[in-house]
Amino acid sequence: MRKTNPVGSGFLLLLLGGAVGYGIGLGIDLLMSGTLNFSGGVASAFALLLAVASFFFGLYGYRGITRGLVWQVVGMLLGAFFVTGMRALMGSEEIFGTFFFSEPAWVLGALIGVVSFLFGVGALDDWMKWVRGIDTPEHHEDIPGWEKYFYVSYDHKVIGIQYTVTALFLIAVGGTFAMIFRTELAASQLQFLTVTFRLFNQTGPQLYNTLMSLHGILMIISILLGVSGIINYVVPLLLGAQDMAFPRMNAFAYWVAVPASVLMLMSLVLGGFDTGWTGYPPLSARAPVGMQMFFLGVFTAGWSSILGSLNVIATVLRMRAKGMVAMRMPIFVWAAVATSIIALTATQLIGLSFQLVMFQRLFGMGFFDASKGGNPVLFQHLFWFYSHPAVYVFVLPGLGVISELLPVFVRKPLFGYRWIAMSSLGIALVGFTVWAHHMFTSGMNEYLRVPFMYSTLLVAVPTGVKFFSWVATLWGGKIETPTPMLFVLGAIVVFLLGGLTGPPNAAIALDLHLHDTYFIVGHFHDTIFGGFVFPFFAAIYYWFPKATGRRMSEFWGKMHFWLMTPSFLVLTFGMMRVGLLGMRRRIVDYDPALGLDFSHLILTISAYLIGLSVLIFFINFFHSMKNGEKAEGNLWSSRSPEWQVPSPMPAHNYPVPFEVVGEPYDYGLPGSKYVEFIAPDRQTHHEEEAVIHGA
Amino acid sequence: MAHKHDNSLMLSQGVFIFVYLAVLTGLEFFVAITFNSVPLLIVVALVKAALVLYYYMHIYQLNMDPAHEGDEHSYEYKTGTNRIGLWLFLISDTFVFGGLMVMRINLLGLTRPELNQTLGLFVTAVLLISSFFMNRGETLMHNGDRKGFLNNTAITFVLGLGFLLGVVLVEWRLAIHEGMTPDSGPAGAAFFMMTGMHAFHVFTGLILLAIVWINGRRGLYDEKNYPVEAAAVYWHFVDVVWIFFYPALYLIGTLA
Repeated sequence: MRKTNPVGSGFLLLLLGGAVGYGIGLGIDLLMSGTLNFSGGVASAFALLLAVASFFFGLYGYRGITRGLVWQVVGMLLGAFFVTGMRALMGSEEIFGTFFFSEPAWVLGALIGVVSFLFGVGALDDWMKWVRGIDTPEHHEDIPGWEKYFYVSYDHKVIGIQYTVTALFLIAVGGTFAMIFRTELAASQLQFLTVTFRLFNQTGPQLYNTLMSLHGILMIISILLGVSGIINYVVPLLLGAQDMAFPRMNAFAYWVAVPASVLMLMSLVLGGFDTGWTGYPPLSARAPVGMQMFFLGVFTAGWSSILGSLNVIATVLRMRAKGMVAMRMPIFVWAAVATSIIALTATQLIGLSFQLVMFQRLFGMGFFDASKGGNPVLFQHLFWFYSHPAVYVFVLPGLGVISELLPVFVRKPLFGYRWIAMSSLGIALVGFTVWAHHMFTSGMNEYLRVPFMYSTLLVAVPTGVKFFSWVATLWGGKIETPTPMLFVLGAIVVFLLGGLTGPPNAAIALDLHLHDTYFIVGHFHDTIFGGFVFPFFAAIYYWFPKATGRRMSEFWGKMHFWLMTPSFLVLTFGMMRVGLLGMRRRIVDYDPALGLDFSHLILTISAYLIGLSVLIFFINFFHSMKNGEKAEGNLWSSRSPEWQVPSPMPAHNYPVPFEVVGEPYDYGLPGSKYVEFIAPDRQTHHEEEAVIHGA
Repeated sequence: MAHKHDNSLMLSQGVFIFVYLAVLTGLEFFVAITFNSVPLLIVVALVKAALVLYYYMHIYQLNMDPAHEGDEHSYEYKTGTNRIGLWLFLISDTFVFGGLMVMRINLLGLTRPELNQTLGLFVTAVLLISSFFMNRGETLMHNGDRKGFLNNTAITFVLGLGFLLGVVLVEWRLAIHEGMTPDSGPAGAAFFMMTGMHAFHVFTGLILLAIVWINGRRGLYDEKNYPVEAAAVYWHFVDVVWIFFYPALYLIGTLA
């Protein structure tokens, strides 16, 4: 079976499965409507599902993720046929819908598909055994080699890498979507996404809306997965734990995100949705079925986020090494806790708000339907109660990475450790009180605007604390600039720009003017790139040797940085500029009389350059896994515990437990030490002592 | 186990708390139908919730760490971690119900759906009594009395099922019969969404009860009984939610 190249057979079967699925879909369409609809949603949906499943079949055989995907497809079809049958029995007029199945059939089918995936992939195996009263070993041995990454593993390091690679995949998909619609925007008038253009039952402008909406949500999901990826890989290592507190739940949280991503992609072919990722009703209450797939996808991915953060908090509370009191925890752990507090609680509200719209569509419950006594603004409150704090979920770990890496590369203690630790919590808590600044123009009560303006401006205080600490840490340091440090510095600059363009939007008078313009687009791309994307790349370059025992190419890493940073600055400054000149968000076309054609051309070119730089990163990433320069020691001369043992990390982390004996970031202070490994003879001594005390 | 000696004390404590809760529920109903003071109803609900959180759900146990450092693989230490995990989950779930409450207040304000208040009191009483038996069963299991645990959990299960059917079959049907359907307006939407979400949690709680009952019968929890405690805490949590949802739907405000 291993004679052929698995990747090659994977892609071969991808094409084959896609073609077969497309054929089946065409056949169904022909039977139902009597015409051949080559750009139809049904054919595309089947093609997508079968192509993805066949790819993994070729890569990997019928096990692990392949089995999950096959079960998802089968479960989805069974669920959908069940509802269809019920509707036929009950004499409903609409048994079938635009996309073969009716909307309720798709929704229930998709839900059953997600559950089937989890059973199929094996994420629930141990729990099911517990339910039947069968004990399972605490750890399972993973299969060796790359194949374990497509299988349910309880090892936090494997899960961290699974998260990270999935996040990178979604970044690639979301970025591709961005480049497609950015191409359309390069000049005014419609060029290729025209009204006569048809794909997936959508015209060109509709497809633009769908791609724009999907770009938003795919990037958000990929950021959430990326955040979980770094946290999962790094936090137990920093704490000196063997694993997370709940390894099975950890695996569940990852695997539930996979069917969620499939649903998200299915929304593209099932008519798409044109609301943007915010999904405001009343528009979302009447968009095509794709809307429901989007809602379900976010709902499912939300569970990943909630359970993942639950795990992080429990791990930090219970699994710290000896002597690691709160004020000696690495700063990234503080950031992870702060981010998890938000994700644990607020995520429920986006799930609830989307669920309410789903029910409004399915059962006619008029939560947000003004004609039934509902209130559309209520949706925005529920939605933003998560979705604003969500940006702190994205950036807090990133800012944690900056604070974590900075002292390593300036060889100086981190300035104001306590303040930084507290500022993360501060941002998280203040973040809960600012949501309505998204709604200054929504028609909510006017007296609510002023308190929300002030609470929003307040966020700048703990964020400012972080900036002062970074600058003070850099001051007078011996700055080295390998690739991770370049990305840290880039993150500081870009996040500063994002931060400085924030308060203008918070000010009501200005926001009434800036709302829904490209200024906002520029602002939040700055914050997200500075707060997440740059630090994410920094973290990957930094911890890659820990995970693989090899390092990524410095030259191509620097190319990546020096290509991405200037293009990105041009892109966001340009976005803000066209926004101030009157360019609106989320629209497929703009008036040539605005005179923005040339600016938009520049924006599109910079977007391509960013895409190119990320492509360089991808090649570097996958190439270095096998062929990178060996780096098994303390590559960055870090004080952090994970670098004190050889890379890659063994399965159950530290062979010898360590004890915290000093401050984490006292770089350059002679004789200071953060951790000390407990020598085996002392260890047994400790155990004897414990026995004596215990008796 | 360490708590064996205070067996009778724990059991009588459960009875006292149940009496308090029953009196408060009666008082709540009386306040609602006589002078309908919203602040007073809120206070009563908060007191009831606090009683359940402390005495039935043992929230103070979060602060009790039986294991010392370096013993991370002991059952006691893992139980402490599991407790934290469960409570974090409950905090998270609270936000769903909080969101539903916000929805209800936003859409209905100081009006309430047209519902049969006596029936509401009845189902509330059923759920409350089930919580009492749950507490009893959990305490008995903690003291190694498997038979007592099985009997009390079975009663809890039956009462819980009674509550679920009372809401879904009787209450919903009655509401639809009176013309309040999910799509009839904000009152119907809020009522069906809130009771539906709560009923879903009751349903999952029943599944958990069935699992611990079956495994308990096989003697799985004679020594390591955290699963029983977890199922009980979850069951009481569902009760706490109803402590707030019941006045919000049946008692507060005037008829819409």
